[in-house]
Amino acid sequence: MKKVLLSIGCVVLLMACSNTESETEIIQQETVAPATYTFERDGTSSVSFGGQTTRIEMAGEFVSALKSTTESVASLNAKFAHTAGENNFSDADLNASSKSIRSKVAASTDFYASNTTDAAAIKADFDSWISAQVEDVFPKWDMYASEGNAGQIQEAGGGSVRYVSAKGIEYNQLINKGLISALMVDQILNNYLSPAVLDAADNVADNDADAVNEGKNYTTMEHKWDEAFGYLYGKEADITAPTLNNDSFLNKYLGRVEGDTDFAGIAEEIYNAFKLGRAAIVAKDYTTRALQAEILREKISEIIGMRAVYYLQQGKNNLPTDKGGAFHDLSEGIGFIYGLQFTRKPNATAAYFTKAEVDGFMTTLQSGNGFWDLTSETLDEMSATIAAKFNFTLAQAGS
Amino acid sequence: MFRKFLVLFVSIITFLACSSSEEITPTIIDGFDRNALLENIADNIIIPAYEDFSGKMNALKTAGDTFSTAPNQSNLEALRVSWFAAYKTWQHIEMFDIGKAEELQFKFYMNIYPVTVSDIEDNITNGSYDLNSVNNQDAQGFPALDYLLHGLADSDAAILEKFTIAEDNDNYKNYLIAILNQMNTLTTSVVSDFKAQRNAFVISTENTATSSVNKLINDYIFYYEKGLRANKFGIPAGVFSENALPEKVEGQYKNDVSKELALDALTAVQNLFEGRHYNAATTGVSFKDYLVKLNRTDIATSTSDQFDIAGSQVEKLDNSFAAQIDTDNTAMTMAYDELQKAVVLLKVDMLQAFNVSIDYVDADGD
Repeated sequence: MKKVLLSIGCVVLLMACSNTESETEIIQQETVAPATYTFERDGTSSVSFGGQTTRIEMAGEFVSALKSTTESVASLNAKFAHTAGENNFSDADLNASSKSIRSKVAASTDFYASNTTDAAAIKADFDSWISAQVEDVFPKWDMYASEGNAGQIQEAGGGSVRYVSAKGIEYNQLINKGLISALMVDQILNNYLSPAVLDAADNVADNDADAVNEGKNYTTMEHKWDEAFGYLYGKEADITAPTLNNDSFLNKYLGRVEGDTDFAGIAEEIYNAFKLGRAAIVAKDYTTRALQAEILREKISEIIGMRAVYYLQQGKNNLPTDKGGAFHDLSEGIGFIYGLQFTRKPNATAAYFTKAEVDGFMTTLQSGNGFWDLTSETLDEMSATIAAKFNFTLAQAGS
Repeated sequence: MFRKFLVLFVSIITFLACSSSEEITPTIIDGFDRNALLENIADNIIIPAYEDFSGKMNALKTAGDTFSTAPNQSNLEALRVSWFAAYKTWQHIEMFDIGKAEELQFKFYMNIYPVTVSDIEDNITNGSYDLNSVNNQDAQGFPALDYLLHGLADSDAAILEKFTIAEDNDNYKNYLIAILNQMNTLTTSVVSDFKAQRNAFVISTENTATSSVNKLINDYIFYYEKGLRANKFGIPAGVFSENALPEKVEGQYKNDVSKELALDALTAVQNLFEGRHYNAATTGVSFKDYLVKLNRTDIATSTSDQFDIAGSQVEKLDNSFAAQIDTDNTAMTMAYDELQKAVVLLKVDMLQAFNVSIDYVDADGD
């Protein structure tokens, strides 16, 4: 053992020696990472992502409303696809906003600009889950769920009451967890971090010339990167020291993954990549920017993959004794699984799983009486298939 | 800068290389007799506690039958006394979530609180219910009896009316009996199964996720963390919520028993740690001995001391935790904090010393 370490030491020393010649060059190329996500031009912050914060807030009100039986399909759709000026939300600023959630679902440049067929099918999935919640689950709110029948089911030990479809699915969970990927992850990884968006039109020339947008303090490229950042950190009180768990979406689940000792450190890796990439844009260092984008694609995709496996395993563990608890886990899990099609492999143009593969998972989970019919074997097999494509093991994600 | 960092790195590596030669191998040479540990726990703690509880459960059911036949003040009082005696003994066995108890989810049918009053009242009104349904786990057991015997009305006279002159008085009596039968049946099954499996239990000493010893240790710590620390103290004191929730104390309708029940539970936890025989001063082979054997007397002593400290902090509280929370919740959270310190000793220090993996994950709560 000592010998191995000594030889590593020698190699490291050699590397250190040989490095001296190119040191100057390296330093010139590398953007220096700032301590925090703080960027200023002429003494004023150049960071802006208000639109992302707005959509996270709209999504928060929307998913809460999915459990309110006084809502109708129309009123929920209006929250999902808000029109400026309509009183769809409790917050006046949201009502006044021209932003909408639905317009940004499956709407990234890389994945959907020339694939409106899949984009439309995905939006239609969300629409169908909203209708099913109102038409199939709301009327059975006070009935007990059973195989093939929607209704309520309580978690064991006097736990929370869950409201499920005839197949055991909590649509509000499927929609909530599905949105994390269809909205946040897709927009971050396949839109705002993409050269197709960052470098569109005159963005590079403008950024090189420090040509800011009219009336703004940022270049378009800077702003696009901030918008990616905003979908993850938009509800943080202080973006120089993110605390996580500040929304019901990606920010929360990054916090959950960070809390698993097998994944600890991921939050810092993601934050570091965001701030170094943004600094690289300021420094016109597009190589470093691209490297950070690839790190973000891998790590943010990992959040979705990890939670998908985690909930399948939790569901499996609860199925024999606690159907309510298991169905809740699986409802979260199916939402993360649906989201796998929006992930992005680093240095590639594809998601970790294709839409066809995801549709296959969805069919398996919902066949027959859905969650009522699931077996440990099916859930283990699916967990293993998902984990195999990521840089973690089933065991690491499962606990 | 970069080079300096590398030099430092190499120095650290060299340092590690030197110090690593003095390290002992990570394999624990564990000369502890886990079989003797399990024998002591099974024969001198679990079985006598089970037998005591079984007897008290039987007496409780008999008192319920008597009351149902003649619902009067003296039979109500006798039933309440039996309820409390059995509830106190229950505190000594809830932690044993093993064998039949685990399979049947015994504790979920015996002690889920607070109850959902609307579920109980709906069941009584409807006159038909499935007590084996998960939906009814918070409508039966000791907490449901607490509600029926102390919480149905403001006065004993008004409570008795529910069982006598109320239009659906038969439904109330039937529900009382149904709950008692359920509790008694489950108890009989759990106790007889454990006795039948005793020999298999005590020889299952390997360090695996499914061995008796690992499951027992995990159940023990889980109970201490969730059943005792969180349910009896943390949740009502508002440790996990915006506000205190005094209505979530154990025995909320009797009201002045939450401290006594909690102290019984804490005694049971400490007794198991120290291998003390049920209802006796004698001690046998214990987790504490195991730590000493592993040269971790420090953890062994700290844990016993911490239980004592937590116990004396609990002693200071009002007999009614609900009253304590209303008047001075700080005392309640101070007791919680002392209990929490023992969680770290058990869950981190003791488990690392034993080299046992934790088999439960903290629910993510959403």
